[in-house]
Amino acid sequence: MTSGNWLRGSLVALGYVVFVAFILFPIFWIFLMSIKDFRDIIAYPPTFVFTPTLRNYTQVLFGADTPGAATMVSDYTRFFRNSVIISGGAVALAALVGVPAAYALSRARFKARHSIAFTFLSFRFAPELAVILPLFVIYRQLGLYDTYQGMILAHQLIALPLVIWIMLSFFNDLPLEIEEAARVDGASVLQTLLFVALPIVRPGLASALIIAFIFSWNNLIFGLVLAGGQTQPATMAILQAMNFDQIKWGEMAAAAMVSAVPGMLIAVYFQRYLTRGLTMGAIK
Amino acid sequence: MPPQAIQPTLVKPQLAGRRRTWWRDERLHYVLMFTPALLLLIGILYPFSLGVYKSLTNEKLYLSSIQFVGLRNYVDLFSEAAFRESLLRTLGYVAAVLLVQLPLGIGIALLLDVKSPLRSFLRSTLVLPLLIPPIVAGLMWKTMMQPASGVLNWFIRSLGGQGIDWLSHPSSALMSVVLIDTWVFIPFVVLILLAGLQSVPEEVVEAVRVDGANELQAFLHVKLPWLLPYALLVMLFRIPDALKAFDIIYPATRGGPLDSTRLLHVMAYQEAFRWSNIGTAMAVLFVLWFISYVVSMNVMRLWRRRSGMIQGD
Repeated sequence: MTSGNWLRGSLVALGYVVFVAFILFPIFWIFLMSIKDFRDIIAYPPTFVFTPTLRNYTQVLFGADTPGAATMVSDYTRFFRNSVIISGGAVALAALVGVPAAYALSRARFKARHSIAFTFLSFRFAPELAVILPLFVIYRQLGLYDTYQGMILAHQLIALPLVIWIMLSFFNDLPLEIEEAARVDGASVLQTLLFVALPIVRPGLASALIIAFIFSWNNLIFGLVLAGGQTQPATMAILQAMNFDQIKWGEMAAAAMVSAVPGMLIAVYFQRYLTRGLTMGAIK
Repeated sequence: MPPQAIQPTLVKPQLAGRRRTWWRDERLHYVLMFTPALLLLIGILYPFSLGVYKSLTNEKLYLSSIQFVGLRNYVDLFSEAAFRESLLRTLGYVAAVLLVQLPLGIGIALLLDVKSPLRSFLRSTLVLPLLIPPIVAGLMWKTMMQPASGVLNWFIRSLGGQGIDWLSHPSSALMSVVLIDTWVFIPFVVLILLAGLQSVPEEVVEAVRVDGANELQAFLHVKLPWLLPYALLVMLFRIPDALKAFDIIYPATRGGPLDSTRLLHVMAYQEAFRWSNIGTAMAVLFVLWFISYVVSMNVMRLWRRRSGMIQGD
């Protein structure tokens, strides 16, 4: 019995080590790369001991490599700002539109609501290009190509189904009695949603918005197709750093680290509703 | 419930006398609350149906004359070896993703289900890859997988092995992408399966233990069947995601070398933006959409049946 426990214990420990190494090593390696200078990056065998530098980060965040260039906005800064505007705007719009819609889908009794809800869900399963390629043609005609408005609208394809389905799952869990009491007291449907239902599902709302933000922030293909020079998001910046023959490895690694920050912060601080959010409410 | 019968006793006096006017009708409120989302839905469905039409034309990006060609694009695609190969490759990719990620996911879920003081740290570690942009993941692995100077081959060589070509040879490129995909999405798989393991009723496990089953038997006969609906849920999300894989492949290989990682979504992108064949690209996308739709609807039906059976609702 004790030898069995010992064996089991060491197997579990070995599993932990392999698991943690598999997950963390790539992140650790790209982080090392982001604080190396070029010579250390291309060195073989790979160097683990070196003099760290913050040059890649200052270059990415402030573009301050050449003297006097500090006042110029670096390309990366512009890309990050674009990402913040697009993903922030997309999530705000998705919340404004999606939360009342989810509430209506959850509370109103009409026949079509299941098929409408599933139509939203089915976008999660469709290849994105099937929508954004025609959208690309339409946008060029309407002048929405390479605009923030156009990007924010297109990102509803990601954000809106997430917000609607996650909120639907939280609203469906609410006991009806409290809301009915409010309605009997004379509150309108919208007032009931805003002052009764929404405060109770606040953690659900937070998880929906954060997951929608991460998915929108992480997306590559929308920026690739619908954004030109004006609105390119951070994921495009990283791709462009790879385009040139002489790859700027260090800057690329630093940009990758910075663009991974929102997601990593959430991973650490915000776990409780992650599974429910990622499965769009399928798992409570 | 009949409102007239109840309200006089419950409603505040000053409200009771107020007439129910049409703008206080709750159905109207629900419709109004739903309208903006419906407009956006139409805004998404319109380009989608426009795309269906485009797949029946010979539209090119910089050509103004567009002709309706019926099913020509589809017929051409299926008679083209490159497309058939890409289709098979895509299906093989999906199969490989499931075959690697489901067993690995179950293993890691079992590992993280063990009670230990490290558990919360391990869970935080687990979700990191999922929240990093896939393009960053693709880039990280591409860097580590450099055949001559990458850290992975350095590690293999220092253990006395032979370096692997990883992404740079047609024979190993697709499996290397599967490895990257696994790194990115294994957290998602594990989170779902872990939720499944934690919902296994303790009494049942205890009961078979009392009957003399060892840990392996308890796993095979109690936990594994219990996990089935959760595995279906994993498939429900992972199959469409793998079918439309793009965000990892594009930075890692752009479909190369020698088209060995050119899955359908990548092929559609290249048809549209390298060859500017919008019509052909849309045809590829609707083949992809059709497969994804049929598979996910069927998996969903299975999942709802199984999860209803086990959870009893």
